[in-house]
This record gives sequence, structure tokens and C-alpha cells, in this order.
Amino acid sequence: MNKFICFSLLHLIFSFTFLPVKSRENSATLIETTCKTTPFYNLCISALQSDPEGPSADIPGLARIGANKVKAKATATLRQIRASLKEAKDPSLKTALLDCVDFYNAIVEYDVPMAIDAVVKGDPKFGVQGLNDAANEALACARRFENLPKSPIEGNNKVVHDLSAVVASIIALLL
Amino acid sequence: MVDTRPFLPVSSSDGSNPSEPLANGRKPMKALLSIFFGLLAVGLLAALLTSNNGSDFVTENEHDPLASSTTTTKSEPLRPLSRGPAAGVSEKSNRLFADENTVAFPWNNSMLSWQRTAFHFQPERNWMNDPNGPLFYKGWYHFFYQYNPHAPVWGDIVWGHAVSKDLIHWLHLPLAMVADHTYDKSGVWTGSATFLPDGKIVMLYTGSNAQAVQVQNLAYPADHSDPLLINWIKYSGNPVLVPPPGILSKDFRDPTTAWLTSEGKWRFAIGSKVNKTGVALVYDTKDFINYEKLDGFLRAVDGTGMWECVDFFPVSKTGENGLDTSVNTPDVKHVMKVSLDDDRHDYYTVGTYHEKNVTFVPDDLTIDVGIGLRYDYGVYYAAKTFYDQNKNRRVLWGWIGESDSEAADLQKGWASVQSIPRTVLLDKKTGTHLLQWPVQEIDSLRLNSYEFNHVSIQAGSVVPLEVGPATQLDIIAEFKIEKEALEKATGSNVTFSCSSSGGAKERGALGPFGLLVLADDSLSEQTPVYFYIAKGSDGNLKTFFCNDQSRSSVASDVNKQIYGSMVPVLKGENLSLRVLVDHSIIESFAHGGRTVITSRVYPTRAIYGAAKLFLFNNATEAGVSASLKIWQMNSAFIRPYPNLDNKSR
Repeated sequence: MNKFICFSLLHLIFSFTFLPVKSRENSATLIETTCKTTPFYNLCISALQSDPEGPSADIPGLARIGANKVKAKATATLRQIRASLKEAKDPSLKTALLDCVDFYNAIVEYDVPMAIDAVVKGDPKFGVQGLNDAANEALACARRFENLPKSPIEGNNKVVHDLSAVVASIIALLL
Repeated sequence: MVDTRPFLPVSSSDGSNPSEPLANGRKPMKALLSIFFGLLAVGLLAALLTSNNGSDFVTENEHDPLASSTTTTKSEPLRPLSRGPAAGVSEKSNRLFADENTVAFPWNNSMLSWQRTAFHFQPERNWMNDPNGPLFYKGWYHFFYQYNPHAPVWGDIVWGHAVSKDLIHWLHLPLAMVADHTYDKSGVWTGSATFLPDGKIVMLYTGSNAQAVQVQNLAYPADHSDPLLINWIKYSGNPVLVPPPGILSKDFRDPTTAWLTSEGKWRFAIGSKVNKTGVALVYDTKDFINYEKLDGFLRAVDGTGMWECVDFFPVSKTGENGLDTSVNTPDVKHVMKVSLDDDRHDYYTVGTYHEKNVTFVPDDLTIDVGIGLRYDYGVYYAAKTFYDQNKNRRVLWGWIGESDSEAADLQKGWASVQSIPRTVLLDKKTGTHLLQWPVQEIDSLRLNSYEFNHVSIQAGSVVPLEVGPATQLDIIAEFKIEKEALEKATGSNVTFSCSSSGGAKERGALGPFGLLVLADDSLSEQTPVYFYIAKGSDGNLKTFFCNDQSRSSVASDVNKQIYGSMVPVLKGENLSLRVLVDHSIIESFAHGGRTVITSRVYPTRAIYGAAKLFLFNNATEAGVSASLKIWQMNSAFIRPYPNLDNKSR
């Protein structure tokens, strides 16, 4: 009898040691499975896992985290555009940057807030649209620099675009 | 969390040995327990430590895709996205940008202000979506709608309101309902009106409450003697319905108009989903305050996703009038319509309503709810009908969104229009289709007319039609194709569809032919509305009706898709169509409205006086002749209701 108790206790101990590790893997898996449905897996993983609430969030929560990251990145890019405008001498560069101010204002003031609103309130199609719009604004901005030697915001612009596409994809899971 | 006493001492710290007085038999037990807890603690500690090395953390900045570096090489181009469902969900609807070479067009104010319609309902500015609670009362048609008072994008939704004597000339009234209670704090969403036997109106609508749960609320006019129904009262006991067990808090919206059962109760449906199965829940009520949820669903169809804006109504099998929503006699069929969240399209199905077991059975299961015929093969969503007791007809409203970029919407300060209200009837000749037709009152906008009889259009030619300005038109046309060409053409197995075809420039033996709308003289911009006849290898002819946006504008940040569908053409019928052109909206009806396509187009050159109208025939083997009557259309002068002072809130 004692041997039996001893054995089952040891058995229990070993299963307990694995349990916490297993549940950790499960919540990381929601981020993983969600990100697999998006067009930029690594970017998605990075954005969601780097948020402290990422691992425990549900899909609407992941969508909100992603949307907020888009907004933060777009806000930073807008600052960068304005800074570049101050230094720009070339008039066609100035025009391109001015256009991008409009596009990025749209992303920060309208697209992302509308998308978050839609996810929170449960009408996800407007969330998908909002982030698709954001991606398209970023694309429109990028195209402004086509005939210019270089774009001071190229990298950030691409991140905003790609991350918007990722979050639109995540919200589409809620449809 | 971690037990700081991993190894319980057999003797306590004060020196006394608590275990000593224990009987001999319990010593091993205590030891075992202490080992158990000890190892448990170790195990937990180990788990905590090891989990920080979980698989996919990206912690190095240089590998962090979120941190952009200035040395990024010119990598893959940014890919354009549609304003519809993103990749991963069935991508059937709008792809905004067709390819990667899109540039945001430098829209100027002249181009943008041209886009505003002259005789379609739209608020003076900002965003609109679903039609709500349409009704006729004391001499006025009432129209309510989802409205954002603050911006040309969705958000802060409240109920806009307008009235008209004739469904065409609208006057704006103050907002009917705003988000001023906990039960609709996050949005005053879509709802429907029901007339009680004494003529009073009740409005059931969805509120997104302060916790973003979707609930149903009751509202009614504050003053039934006010024909303008300006003020509305919300029932003090709202919400009257909350999501039932098994239904998620964000999958419960858009209640229908109620219909009377033979037991004298009111019954209505509300769309939802269970996993990916679209469903219609059913409730009975005697007073619109207390409800009984019925078991099961009015209809459920796997794979269709969330059902929004469910509509359920009878149509006569024999008569030419509309029917009150409560009619359920043997000479009647029922229509169930849903708006699919997944693809932003409206679908309808004709079938039979069985009141006893509360089910709707489609006539043809292959075109079940959500997978069959569409009201409209273009931009058209959240449609809702009402029974117009004034003229004994059933009238249909539909929301027409924008097909341009959101940036352009922000620049022009508005987004969305409503379709011209359409009468809805069962097509007696096919029995499967509904016929939609602009309400007859629109004829009052017709000004001067132009008639063209038997204009012949050779294969591969374009014929201009001199009609003066061509941005506000009502066109009624009939086409005849050479009989010998139909007989001679060789059939093939190739299946045709408007959306996957090359549009109006893809030449077939027997099509395409039709009209070029909003075209400039050089045809650098044009929107073809046309027929395409495909002959199968068995000799059978199939007629398609399409609307080609691919060259509608030189701007690339607008929708360039080709919309359309097959249209049944019965023996002895000539190909007929009606087109309403009103600036940036084109509504086209084939065969009395058996197949309908609405599109939004944004030309940059074919605007104002430069917009023209042409006939075209791009078939290779068939000549076509057309007879047309075309009217210039007046504006409907939609504006605020004058002198409202004492009546407004």
C-alpha cells in the first residue's frame, strides 16, 4: 500500500512539473496559429509576443494589440515625416512628404481608431476595412517617392504597411 | 509562488521534535508528503525557469521586424490590399487595387465634387451605412439610416432620419436616436419597424451597450400625431432582449420587422452564427416587451458565417402587388434574405414558410440562404424591405458604399449613398428570381427625352448617342442580335463569368454589346454596361449581364473589377435593360430587374460636360440593333427640412 502511494505521489509530481510548461506553450500557440493566417508571420509574432498581454490574449485582444502597434508605428513615422520636411530642400521631396502627412494622419486619426472600435464593438468587417485602408495609405505614401532617389521613411513605411496587413488578417478571423 | 521551505525539517526550529509523539506508522507518510511537496516545488521552479526560453521569442533588435533599419534594401514591393475581406477569408468582393503599380490619384475638388449624386439619397456629409426602419406614415415616407455625425468613416453610429412624399425628394430631419443610454452607448445599430393593428409604430433595434454586448431595444414615436415622427422614446425597461445561451455577445443584431402568427403573437427573426454556420433565431412576443425564444432556427446554412440584416417577407405567386409582412396564404411564397459578413454581399432565397414548425424551406437547396442569388451583383449591402401600405407594394432599400480610396473619402468629406428604392416582386416567368425595379416616382425626375429606333451597330463598332449632358440619365434600351449569328456561332465548353473575363474588350462571337456610360470622347475612360451571350457546346445560349469598371477611370486607386451574372432570358424575350446614371453611381437592371448591378465609378475626365454616352458592339460575328429612350434627369434637391424650429429637439 505504501509503495502504491509512493508511486502515485511520484507520478503526480512528475505530471505537475510538466503542466506549467505545457500551458505556456498552449497560449504561445494561439499567437502562432493566428500569425500563420497572416501574410507576414515573423512580423506578426514579433508584434504580438513583445506585448506583455500578448501571450494571454484572445483573438480580439491580439487584434487590439496589433492595431495599437500600427498606431504607434504610424505616429512615430508621422513625426519622422515632419522632421524630414523641416530639412528637405528639394521641392519634389517636400511634395511627397506633404502628401504622406495626409496619408499618415488618416491612419492615426481615422483608420486605426475605427478598426479598434469595430473589433471592440463586434462589427469586425469595419475593422478589416480600417486596416486595409491603413495599408493602402502607406502604399500610397510609398509610391510618392518612386521618382525620387531615396525615401527617408522607406523602412518605417513598409512596417506600417505590412503590420496593417497582418492585423487586417487577424480581424478577418472574427468575421 | 515558490515554496521557500523546500525541505521541511523533521524537527522544528525551536528544537522540539513534533514528529516524536506520532505513532510509528505515520512517520513514513509524513516523509512521503514532504518529499512530494518538495519535488512539486522544485518542479514548479524548473517550469518557471525553463519557460522563458519558449520557442519563438524575438528579442534581438536586429532581428526584430518591427524595428526598421535605414539600410533596408529595396525589398519586395508593398502589396495593395482590398477594402474587403483580407487574404485568408474568401476573397469574393472588392479588391480595391488590381495590381501593385497603383498610385494615389491627385484628386482635385472639381473631380471630387462631381462625384456627389443628384438624385440618390445621401446625407449632406460624413458616413452612412445600413438603411433602418423604413416606413410610410401619415402621408410621409420615412427613412432612417446608420450615420456617423463626425467623420466620413464608420463609427459613433446613430440614427439619421429623412422624410419624403414620394421616395425620391427627401428632406433631412434631426437625428432620430443617439447613443444616450447604457444599452446603446457604443452604437445605435440597425433595426426595423412594425405596425401594430391600431396603426401605432414600434421600432426594435440593436444597441451595442456600454460593455459592447449586442442587445435588442424597443423604441417608439414620442408623439404619434406628429407626421414627421421627429422625436422618439426608448422604452424604460430596455434592453428587451440579450444574447441567448449559445450565442456570443457580438453575434446578435439586426432584428427584422415582425409578422403576426395565426395565434395572434408577433414573430420576428434575428441573424447570428454558431461557429461558421449562419443562423436565424426566432422570437415570439405579445407586447414587444416580453419575448419567448423559439427552439431551433428559421434556417441555418453551414459555412456562410454571420448573418447580418436578415429580412423575411411574403411575395405573391400570382399578383402584381406587394404583401404585408404578416400575409401567409397558400398563394404566397416567402423570401429569406441575408447579408453575409464574410463577403459583403446580399443573398436571397425563395421558399416556403411553415408556421407550425417555424421553418423556412428553400425551393431549391442548391441556392439556399447565403449561397444563391444576389439582389445585386455590384456594390450593395444591408438591404431591407418594407411594406408600403400607401401603394400596396414592397419596397427595397440598399446601402451602396464607396469604391474609391478612404483617403479620397476623407478629402471629399462624405461616404456612401442609398440605392433608388426598388419595388420587389416574384418573377412569375422564372419562379426563381425576384424582379427589382426603381419606384415609379423616379419618372417625375425625367426632363427632355431622346429616342433612337433600330440603331444598327456592326460587329466591332461604337456609335455615339447625342443626348446632351450624360451624367444624369435614365436609359431604357432593347437590343436585338442577328438571328443567323446566334445559330451559326460555334459553341464551346468554356464557362464564362463576368468577373473573370477580360471585360468589354474581350471579344466573343456573340458579345459583348451594350452601352458605354460615363465615357469621354476619346474613350480613355468608359464604363461598359453590357450583355454577353455564350453558346455552350450543346447549342444552348446563356446570357450574361456585366458592368466593367476596368477602364472607368484613369485613376488607379479605385475599384476596377468587372461585376455581373447570368440573366435568364426566356423564349421570345428581347434583351432589355434600364440604366440610371447619377454621377458616381450607376444602377443597371436587366430584363425588368431579373439581374441587377450597381457600381460606383470615379472618372477624372468623363465628368461634367465631357461625359458622353455610346452604344458599342464588340462581338466578332454578330450585328446588333438597339432601340432606346433616354431622359435627362433632374436633381431631387435633397436638403434639410425647411423651418423646423419648434419641432426639433
